[in-house]
Amino acid sequence: MKKTPETGIIQLVVATGIASVACQLLIIREFLSGFEGNEFVIALIMFSWLVLGGTGTWAAHVAEQRFSPSGLSRLALLSMILAALAPLTLLAARTARDFAFVHGSAAGFYTTFAYIFCIVAPYCLLLGFLLPYSLFCARHLDPQFSGTRVYIADNIGDVCGGAVFSFILVFVATPLQSMLIVNSLLVASALFLLSGSELLRAKILIPAAVAFTVLIAAPGVEKISLHQHPGNLVHYEESRYGRIEIFEDHGQHTLFLDGRPVFSDRNVTMAEELGHYPLSQVKNVEEVLLISAEGGMIREIEKYSPERIDYVEIDPGVTRAVFEYKMLKKIPEINVIHADARLYLSRTANSYDAVIMNLPEPETFQINRFYTKEFFRLVRARLSGGGIFCFHSGAVGNYISEIQRKKISILYQTASEYFPEILMLPGRRLYFLCADRPLNPDIPALLSEKKISTSYVHGYYYGNITSERISDLKSALYNNTDPNTDFSPGMVAVMFSQWFAKFQTTPALFLGLLALGLLVYLIRTTGEEFVLLTTGAMTMGGELLVIFAFQIFFGYIYFQIGLIVTVFLAGLLPGALIGERLKNMGRRIFLLTDGVLVVSMGLFIAALYFAGSLMPESAFLLVGGIISVACGMQFPVALHLGGAGNPAAVRAFSADLIGAAAGTLVISVILMPYTGLFWSAAALIAMKTISLGFVSLRYE
Amino acid sequence: MCLWAGLAVPGNSMPGIAQASSKRGAKTVGRVHIFRGDAPDEPWKFSKEAFSYEKSGTTTICSICPNHCVLSPGDRSICRSKVNIDGKLYSLAYGNPCAVHVDPVEKKPLFHFLPKSRAFSLAATGCNFRCLNCQNWEISQVRPKDVRAYELFPKQAVEHAQRSGAESIAYTYSEPITFLEYTLETAQTAGKKGIKNLLISNGYINREPLLKLCKAVDAANINLKSFDDKIYRKLNGGTLKPVLETLKTLAEQNVHLEITTLVVPDYVDDPAMIRSMCKWIAKNLGVNHPLHFLRFFPHYKLDRLPPTPVPVLENMRTIAMEEGIRYVYIGNVPGHEANHTWCHSCGELLIERHGYEISVPGLSNGKCSACNAEIPGIWNRDEA
Repeated sequence: MKKTPETGIIQLVVATGIASVACQLLIIREFLSGFEGNEFVIALIMFSWLVLGGTGTWAAHVAEQRFSPSGLSRLALLSMILAALAPLTLLAARTARDFAFVHGSAAGFYTTFAYIFCIVAPYCLLLGFLLPYSLFCARHLDPQFSGTRVYIADNIGDVCGGAVFSFILVFVATPLQSMLIVNSLLVASALFLLSGSELLRAKILIPAAVAFTVLIAAPGVEKISLHQHPGNLVHYEESRYGRIEIFEDHGQHTLFLDGRPVFSDRNVTMAEELGHYPLSQVKNVEEVLLISAEGGMIREIEKYSPERIDYVEIDPGVTRAVFEYKMLKKIPEINVIHADARLYLSRTANSYDAVIMNLPEPETFQINRFYTKEFFRLVRARLSGGGIFCFHSGAVGNYISEIQRKKISILYQTASEYFPEILMLPGRRLYFLCADRPLNPDIPALLSEKKISTSYVHGYYYGNITSERISDLKSALYNNTDPNTDFSPGMVAVMFSQWFAKFQTTPALFLGLLALGLLVYLIRTTGEEFVLLTTGAMTMGGELLVIFAFQIFFGYIYFQIGLIVTVFLAGLLPGALIGERLKNMGRRIFLLTDGVLVVSMGLFIAALYFAGSLMPESAFLLVGGIISVACGMQFPVALHLGGAGNPAAVRAFSADLIGAAAGTLVISVILMPYTGLFWSAAALIAMKTISLGFVSLRYE
Repeated sequence: MCLWAGLAVPGNSMPGIAQASSKRGAKTVGRVHIFRGDAPDEPWKFSKEAFSYEKSGTTTICSICPNHCVLSPGDRSICRSKVNIDGKLYSLAYGNPCAVHVDPVEKKPLFHFLPKSRAFSLAATGCNFRCLNCQNWEISQVRPKDVRAYELFPKQAVEHAQRSGAESIAYTYSEPITFLEYTLETAQTAGKKGIKNLLISNGYINREPLLKLCKAVDAANINLKSFDDKIYRKLNGGTLKPVLETLKTLAEQNVHLEITTLVVPDYVDDPAMIRSMCKWIAKNLGVNHPLHFLRFFPHYKLDRLPPTPVPVLENMRTIAMEEGIRYVYIGNVPGHEANHTWCHSCGELLIERHGYEISVPGLSNGKCSACNAEIPGIWNRDEA
């Protein structure tokens, strides 16, 4: 390809796409390490990213009208600034937390939002600015330059950036090393844009040198910037699932996953509670399944002389670390299985005397899959006669709050669908022991019968777990709660309520303002923008639903989930190419693609409902591909119908981003947790049907 | 409106007050503030006119704790339990405990007070602090009407305590200073029936109400959360000096006093600070008050710190003993030898604790069986 300024611009747009998506993923991971990992926080990150991007896009439009003509050297300079901003944004997200919040403390909804918004603002505003600005630069050179070319180039970059990060960088590089790699490409592209031109002079070379310096220097402070706890950071690893850190302090090792302490090697209480409460109930403990573990737990289980302990942990990095630092005792009976526990249970033929689950509370849809009716049924099927299942939720203190009551009631109701006997024991957590036979709450007596000694249970049990406290729990249960299911994850909504209660706030103000803003936008919007807005929402909302449904049936499989995300991005490209060819068909393309979106989502939901787990994995990819292609086809048509000028292009980019932001937020934090998967899909279908009706009438 | 700016308020010399006036007239320490317009229109069944407050027109100033909440009609105090209704200050937490349990007295923790006895433990809602690691935030950080409560007015509470076989009533879990009217009256009623009274508190109370409380209370465990005012403000939303004053008053008034310090990593684990704290205790309170260092576990909002390493707690204990404090315990570490009581004089094992399983092998008539040294505390009749 002969190098012209236009091709240089297209290459720069591709490089920007690669860098921006990789940076987005890295920064999302960073925020998830610094804040709650729930859907609200994920939605807030995506929302901030998209809204700020949209604002940057709008700012480009304003700048283009008011200031001097767009120039290549300015485009190159801005791209270099973007490249340098990327690692600085990541470092700020990591280190500024202790200035904004009390060290070691959690943050509430609004403070999290404000922090995320402020930290990503410079990067996202500039990123949003650059895409239309690239188009203006190209049109400055060639007034007929098509906006679709920029859109396609951006999509190519996005797909490549997502794939490079998810399938390569996450395995081989630390976050700041990844920043160096993807952003070096961006700086190089910016220099390449000006190569051979008189524009490549000192005032560009100096910024390039500064950008490279920042990028190269940043990995050098990686470990220092992570050192946020007392003691020594003896293990650090970025696995595909998140950040694994082990801090050693005065001989105590504490495992942190995504910034939160998960367990330490000296938590006798939890280790004994988790081990002995269920196992003391079993006559002969031979086969034990652990779904995640607790420090020191194996030592307690070993006291029952089991024949085999299957320990399922999704992240090989975690097991490597905990065994290396002796946080779990490695004994010959232990058999480590790296898999999604739900997937493992659905495929194994083994049966167990005890299944002990030590997972966080269901704050996310991913974790919620382990607290549903369907999962409990699966566990029940894998228990041997007389076997026991133990899971836990957060601690219940001296008072059972309304939210706790709801939580306990839902869990109890859900478990009771398959376990006729459930014993709730309030300890450092609230333990649910589930079986098909009567259970004995006198754990110390059971342990004495088995001649098993303990440090905690024998001495503390009777003082902490009185019959009155056990009966208080039972009497606090509501009888009329709906069970938590895969498709109606009511527990996630309760966990959201708990988070908000902890910080004595509600998201009502935020959501109200958002709804108002959206309404104002909709009133001012053109027909083409409305179609793009709803398609943006449909694509992002659809992507979340497809991933959510996939996880239910196939488990959290990193590569497949990555593949779905990639398909959702990749489909935009052929879609845009087809749309560009067929753009003269205008309204008919809108009708066709909107119809395809409605029908494909409808068929997907119908297939889920009727076929469920019989659906092949490829069906999920197919749906993603169809939605994505349909979405991609609309963009060139919208540009064509709205007029090919710069203002129309800017509005089109903005509509897409705002729709995507709204879709992410509404689906993940409102519709999914409160109404379930089917109603969420129905809402998307209804929204797109309105768009379809609008297109029919508007272009009649 | 700032009616009370510059007004001489009793206790104004307290550090909490000196830094506590806001533009709105509310007394604030860090993130602590009163709740404007949050009071109910009229008192309810569980209301009682506040025990100690001042008035100016229709504005009230609560004088129970160093927050000195200045409330206009319709306002609610920092602790959420007091409201100004038509110019009168009411407690809304009187006779409506939301948590009632019978616990081992060692759970409070009180290790030198009637070992093996049971404490009828109750709590109404409210707290004048905002601890980021609160174990009971679901009752301490809410209003009385936000919870399901029992109806247990002082007389009934004492009857329940008697029926439960408890030898004491513990005012605990949340912050009893915020429901002082209820605490005081129940304690007075219980005292007449021969039931002991235990105050488990953050110690954030003014001297005058505390003096009244001292007459009704037999033992107290005060949570000395750190020995640094900045940390108090940051983690707890309070100030240090009033707590130290409380400790001195309790010691002066001969209330059996034990002190608890939660060793929060990165905050309360500085050996120099702990040494200063222990020096202060030894100098101002004496060396006989048991001191409990508790292991921290991530909880509530303070959930991104590791648990306290046990050697850090052991080091704290060593420092305290070097400073002369005779009875220093380590809590939240099952099976640790510092759960037991060892004679300060001869080192003999006096009380052996495996959680709440207690045996008293070395104590007789309140003295060490081996060396006859007097052991500070209030002991069971068979040991006293």
